Amino acid sequence: MNFSAWQLLGLGGLYLSTLFTLAYLSERGLIPLRWVRHPAVYILSLGVYASAWAFYGSVGLAYEYGFGFLAFYLGICGAFLLAPVLLMPILRVAKSYQLSSIADLFTFRYRSQWAGTLSTLFMIISSLCLMALQFQAVMMSMNVLTGTDHHFWVGSVFCAMVILFTIFFGARGQSRVERHPSLMVGIALEGLLKIIIILVLGTIVAYKVFGGFGELNQWLADNAQRVSSLDRHLEDGPWRALLLIFFASALVMPHMFHMIFTENLNSQALFKASWGLPLYLLLISIPVPLFMWAGIKMSVPTEPDYFILGLGDRFEMPWFNAVAFLGGLTAASGLLIVSCLALASMALNHIILPVYQPLARRDIYRWLTLVRRLLITVILGSGYLFAVWLDGKLSLSILGVLAFSAGLQLLPGVLCVIYWPLGNRIGFIWGLVTGFTLWLVTLALPLILEIDILAWGIWPTDYRLNNNDWHYYVMISLTANICVFVGLSLFFKLTTEEERAAQACSVDTLMRPSRRELIATSSEEFKDFLSVPLGQTAADREVNHAIAQLQLHEVEFRPYALRRLRDQIEANLSGLLGPAIAQDIVQQYLQFKPASSVTPAQDIYFVETKLEDYHHRLSGLAGELDTLRRYHRQTLQNLPIASCSLGVDLEVLMWNQAMEQITGISAPQVIGSHISSIDAPWAELLFSFANGEERHVSKKRIDLEGRPHWFNLHKATIDSDAAGQVLMIEDYTETQLLEEELVHSERLASVGRLAAGVAHEIGNPVTGIACLAQNLRLMTKNEEVLLTADQILDQTQRVSKILQTLMRFSRSGNYSQPLQHTPTQLKRCVDEAIHLLSLSAADPQVSFINNVNSEIQVMGDGQRLVQVFVNLLSNARDASPAEGAHVWIKASIEDYTTRIEVIDEGSGIPGDQLDHLFEPFFTTKDPDKGTGLGLALVYSIIEEHYGHIRVESPADPDTGRGTRVIMQVPGAAIDKSPQTQEQTES
Amino acid sequence: MYIYRLVFLLILGVYIFSPVIMDWWIAPGSAWYRPYIMWFLIIILAYWLERKRGPNEF
Repeated sequence: MNFSAWQLLGLGGLYLSTLFTLAYLSERGLIPLRWVRHPAVYILSLGVYASAWAFYGSVGLAYEYGFGFLAFYLGICGAFLLAPVLLMPILRVAKSYQLSSIADLFTFRYRSQWAGTLSTLFMIISSLCLMALQFQAVMMSMNVLTGTDHHFWVGSVFCAMVILFTIFFGARGQSRVERHPSLMVGIALEGLLKIIIILVLGTIVAYKVFGGFGELNQWLADNAQRVSSLDRHLEDGPWRALLLIFFASALVMPHMFHMIFTENLNSQALFKASWGLPLYLLLISIPVPLFMWAGIKMSVPTEPDYFILGLGDRFEMPWFNAVAFLGGLTAASGLLIVSCLALASMALNHIILPVYQPLARRDIYRWLTLVRRLLITVILGSGYLFAVWLDGKLSLSILGVLAFSAGLQLLPGVLCVIYWPLGNRIGFIWGLVTGFTLWLVTLALPLILEIDILAWGIWPTDYRLNNNDWHYYVMISLTANICVFVGLSLFFKLTTEEERAAQACSVDTLMRPSRRELIATSSEEFKDFLSVPLGQTAADREVNHAIAQLQLHEVEFRPYALRRLRDQIEANLSGLLGPAIAQDIVQQYLQFKPASSVTPAQDIYFVETKLEDYHHRLSGLAGELDTLRRYHRQTLQNLPIASCSLGVDLEVLMWNQAMEQITGISAPQVIGSHISSIDAPWAELLFSFANGEERHVSKKRIDLEGRPHWFNLHKATIDSDAAGQVLMIEDYTETQLLEEELVHSERLASVGRLAAGVAHEIGNPVTGIACLAQNLRLMTKNEEVLLTADQILDQTQRVSKILQTLMRFSRSGNYSQPLQHTPTQLKRCVDEAIHLLSLSAADPQVSFINNVNSEIQVMGDGQRLVQVFVNLLSNARDASPAEGAHVWIKASIEDYTTRIEVIDEGSGIPGDQLDHLFEPFFTTKDPDKGTGLGLALVYSIIEEHYGHIRVESPADPDTGRGTRVIMQVPGAAIDKSPQTQEQTES
Repeated sequence: MYIYRLVFLLILGVYIFSPVIMDWWIAPGSAWYRPYIMWFLIIILAYWLERKRGPNEF
């Protein structure tokens, strides 16, 4: 039964609409992202490799070459089995530098626009053959099913449908990158449908034609003569050539590069594909010999390529043919869509943009989308017209060989990208030109145009180019390509740029960028500079996007961060405009400052960050060295001495944890900054020290949060390739404060000694004066003289009192009388002090309330503690209001110390005087009322008791009045023995 | 790099001897599906190697 062209087109339209719906749902987010990112989707989408050739051409190939047809599958399986060493390094480079096509990869690696442009041109020519193969397969299958000859308009409608769907999939909106998850979902559906169709048809054929697999084996045994092609010995030459071109196709063919590398959402999926795709291809290839044998058995009257389309008629199942046609259509349309998208992107980046750049004058994203659409139309249209022009002159297998062998010429360049850092642009370009020219002369021209240059008689030979020797020509062109490539690469030296790119791509080296300073000093200046070529909107968008990707601060000033930002912008622009244009823009508008005489050091921090990322990839000696590096790094990080290292340009390279604690500046905040740009006051301190001649600076004072701190600074020069210096900072504040305290104590001691001397020297004359005054009183009756004598006596008594106080103060620091450290009942000391004070005539009406628990004991000298309380209580009394005031004495036990508080209701002490209260001769009283030695004495006694004293004022924050003196002295155990209690009281 | 050189050597060896290997796979008299079984065994090997790989290993 024949189908009409409309029916077949309707079937094709229905399939493409299903694809469209699924892709639309995926884009709307209705398909969960984890499904889209699932490795199975990725593997099925890689099934795009099994194009119409796998559906039709393989059967023809099996008919002709026997098991040689397996080369188509085994070649690419070889590439995938080597995925970890072959595909993964390319994926890493492509993802890091946003390289969306093989031409991008070459432009990036060889630092030459010509490398990209030539490879694009050659791949377009190669892909035209492959696209023509697909169109030819679809049109021929229509011819078989409709029973009529070639319909130009039917093919045109099919071509138009594919163009529309390609534009929908990959050239809508302002996509920044060449990645379209919806495309992957669509192509995965195509892969799934294809394998289901081919397996179902295979099973039907096995049972319908042969009656089952057992019977199939029997039939094969009975008809060995008829089906002998599969038993034939493989011809070495064609087999090797086929295996090689299909191996290379995984890396070089635009549609495969696009699906494997550009559309990859999850790098782990590539590892799964290393066995997943071979399994997929195994399943899809099993029915191929069945179709061939069924065609032979049923004597299907078509070419062997299209046996599958004639089988339905033989066992009267017309839908079988329709399903087979649909399978071929899905296979062809999948390849056409992906190939065309990839080629459009390559042509845009490497043919259009190098010639014409619309930059800055209009909306760049919109312009790019329009041009891409135009290119899709032109490329697909050309492929179709090429197929129409060929008019079935070349078989599917010849078209396939032509396409894939042209792609093979790029294989040396790709392998060199990851494995041979010495390969250079001159070698690559001339090798490619040589190989491609030979391909053109020996394969393309004789097969397509039937031009044989050997027949022109230029060379004295009778040999003529022919179809059967195609494998020789493939090998000759590839060998010539490799020889020219290697020879010229060894002859010419690599440029610095190429060397850097080679390092970035190579599998076993790490890119080690040098640390140079940019002219732009902030990310905002980046926007200004980039607005010249890109326009303000695009520049803002690109810079902000790169900042977000790198997770930097919103406005960045650090030189390190600015260098990373520059690299990221180049990578992003590469995804948008191709690597050559991106490189030009960045080099022209984001320039480095002219290199100084000092060779710029390597970016140690960047290298270290990369090493951390690659940690899991290091094994063996490299892994051991890395473990050692991490250990040393950790040692420096955890060093309890604050240290940091600076490059020759004074950029901070390392900032350890102790440094973070001392400065309060975190490492991520400061690393990569110039030392002068860090927070004050560290910037000035470290900058002046790093620039200075001195290697050690002692007791450098800086104020932090209003309080003085002292630091010792040390530095050493780092003698290595990465020259610079290491700074160490030692916090000297505590030692300095201790020193000052010691000086203070020494001063107190000398005041004590002076006081003792003065008291001793003045004591005797004063006693004499007092005696003389006594005598004077006895010797006269004169009232005036008696009054004078009394006044002299009063004054001498006052002098004696001052002298006694001085003597007591001097004795407090005098260790000639050892302190008694015995358990002392605190309440008794306080009572005694209150009693002593009550004897004083000047006692105003102040109530002393002793709230100390009688069980509390402290370790100390009772007499000196009484002295402490006498001083404190008398001060409290003097400060208290005249009538009805109270002074409280409280004590409590805290762990091993006793806390004693003396609280009054006085006017309090001004805050600025609190710090000076314990200094000798400091007093807030009137000059004739206090000597200023009382609290100094108290301080000394408490210190001798290993205690601590401080003053809080006001004691009552609500009223703002009162003073609270708090002492902490070592406690003794609570004495609960009644006997001791009695003894103490007595 | 050493490991890569070994891999290259192995690939070259397999490539050069691939017709011999295929001839062995499709030796006359053997079942038609024998190449597929061999192919399947290689896939199982690749699957096993992929499973053995650590999550962060490249």
